[in-house]
Amino acid sequence: MSSAAGIAIATLVTLTLVKSTPIIYAALGGVISERAGIVNIGLEGMMAGGAFTAVVFSGITGSPIAGLLAGIAAGALLGFVLGFAATVFKVDQIVAGTGINLVALGGAAYALTLLYNQPGASPQVNALGPNYWILVALAFVCALALHAVLYFTPWGLRVRACGENPRAVHDAGLHPLRLRLYAVILSGALAGLGGAFLSIGEVNIYSDGMTAGRGFIALAAVIFGRWTPWGATGAAVFFGFFEALQYVLQGRIGWLPSDAMQAVPYIAALVAIAGLVGKVRAPAADGIPY
Amino acid sequence: MIQLRRALGGPVGAILLAFFLAACAMLVAGVSPLDGFSALFVGSLGGRQQIAETLVQTTALLFPALGISLAFRAGLFNIGAEGQLLIGALACGAVGAHFAAPTPLAIFVLLACGFVGGGIWGGIAGWLRAQFNANEIISTLMLNFVAISLATYLVSGPLKSPAAVGAETAPLPAASWLPLLIPDTRLSIGLIIAILAAFVLRWLFTRTVFGYELRASGEAPDAARRNGVNMPRTTLLALTLSGAIAGLGGATIVTGVLHRFNTQLSPGYGYTAIAVALVGDLNPLWVCLAAFGFGILEAGGLAMQALADVPKDAIHVIEGLIILVLAARRYIATRAEAAPI
Repeated sequence: MSSAAGIAIATLVTLTLVKSTPIIYAALGGVISERAGIVNIGLEGMMAGGAFTAVVFSGITGSPIAGLLAGIAAGALLGFVLGFAATVFKVDQIVAGTGINLVALGGAAYALTLLYNQPGASPQVNALGPNYWILVALAFVCALALHAVLYFTPWGLRVRACGENPRAVHDAGLHPLRLRLYAVILSGALAGLGGAFLSIGEVNIYSDGMTAGRGFIALAAVIFGRWTPWGATGAAVFFGFFEALQYVLQGRIGWLPSDAMQAVPYIAALVAIAGLVGKVRAPAADGIPY
Repeated sequence: MIQLRRALGGPVGAILLAFFLAACAMLVAGVSPLDGFSALFVGSLGGRQQIAETLVQTTALLFPALGISLAFRAGLFNIGAEGQLLIGALACGAVGAHFAAPTPLAIFVLLACGFVGGGIWGGIAGWLRAQFNANEIISTLMLNFVAISLATYLVSGPLKSPAAVGAETAPLPAASWLPLLIPDTRLSIGLIIAILAAFVLRWLFTRTVFGYELRASGEAPDAARRNGVNMPRTTLLALTLSGAIAGLGGATIVTGVLHRFNTQLSPGYGYTAIAVALVGDLNPLWVCLAAFGFGILEAGGLAMQALADVPKDAIHVIEGLIILVLAARRYIATRAEAAPI
């Protein structure tokens, strides 16, 4: 093997891990929410909200850790909005999630102009720097933790029951709506963390449209991963690989048009959800208001 | 709580909310709502040019909103109108740059290109859903990103006009331009075509077997299937037609307003159109009215930004909150018939 190819492969592996990380966080958020019975179309907006808030708070405090926590909080807040609407008002979750996306993406663009008076992108702030590797590793720890919680704790069993048969949870004397609300808040927090990784992990700014459909790719990862934490993580790495591949090939194969290459991760997600005919089963009460 | 939900859940509540939120957005930006609203309305309705510009925006929103209404009525959540509109515009611009014919024929051919282009893009999602049960929410959104990559690649490479500085196609010959509705403005007869499309859609919904099957498969999929509605066929046709209408809209922007294709031609019309369709209650004629309302916001938003210093993006926040409120109504049929998400 030539050393150039070796470097390319090393870059590909590294980039795959980095590009997978935000998708893993969002996909884990999707898993917990859907296992509780709430479809979270708003993952994209929650990522954007987390990414933007992280930059703002890192800018104000000078501490990227504060930014990270603020990003998580912003995602959780948006999760609360969706969860509250879905449990108390029993709204159409898909329509509400679409609303969340517009609010968060538009709100970030609006606040960007108001705060920094420069539309399009924020100024540079203190980012995590080399420490972002901790977040990459933490994504896999989160997958492990979510697996443990969902399958080995009473709370996890109750959450899963909410996604299959909320009535039974109610009859057992528990509060399915409260469980669902907590699950969606957690979902938002994870998506917010994924967003914060995008803005102050990988780079050090927020720019409009930087989430670029990753929230929806994460939804595809949830389906592709059969609504399990490890499955979704694997699917997220799969999609992250295609995103990384696009970057690696762009620099190396001259005749491949880079604009067309940008479509690769999206096409991978399309193929993944189409290739599952008749093989998947969503939680029975997923998306149905209780 | 239920009364509150009903009162606020309707389009009227949503519009009231929109005004309230717009006022909040202005206050946050440090602008008196009085100044903000006057900038908004003067900028959108204050004169012949302004009204024409509002109607240009109305036209651009109406086509994708009608397409979305059709898909939603069939229980299909098409959030890919943006990509469908873009591909329609691309098809129209690519053909139009190299196509010369007398006016009526040229326009007809170019609009047909947009219709077919958007139809293919919507049809891909329809086929994936009908054949593989691939959820249309994800597929239509993914296709938006594929559309923008494809369009960017084509107009910065194979289809780029040698004369142009930026990434755009060669201009259309003047014979291919849609006639203007109001002289010396940007308003073409695209508006008339859009309103006609709304009436055709209303006729389709209420007077045809296909329209009935379409609504049945959205409102009561189980009953529709048991009564012999071919669900995969309805799904494929609904998403194809939905995309085709959005694509037609893209073509009217190219032939009626810009007279060439570039990738910046839509500032998110396909996403705003979701709010337009929901506020219009998925009813083609009410959607026309809703499109006019959002046309005021789009056209006035720029004036508001210029005159009153309120960022235009405030409008997207308002749209999102309106959608959140309207989510209290049910649009998509029971989960059993939906593709996994």
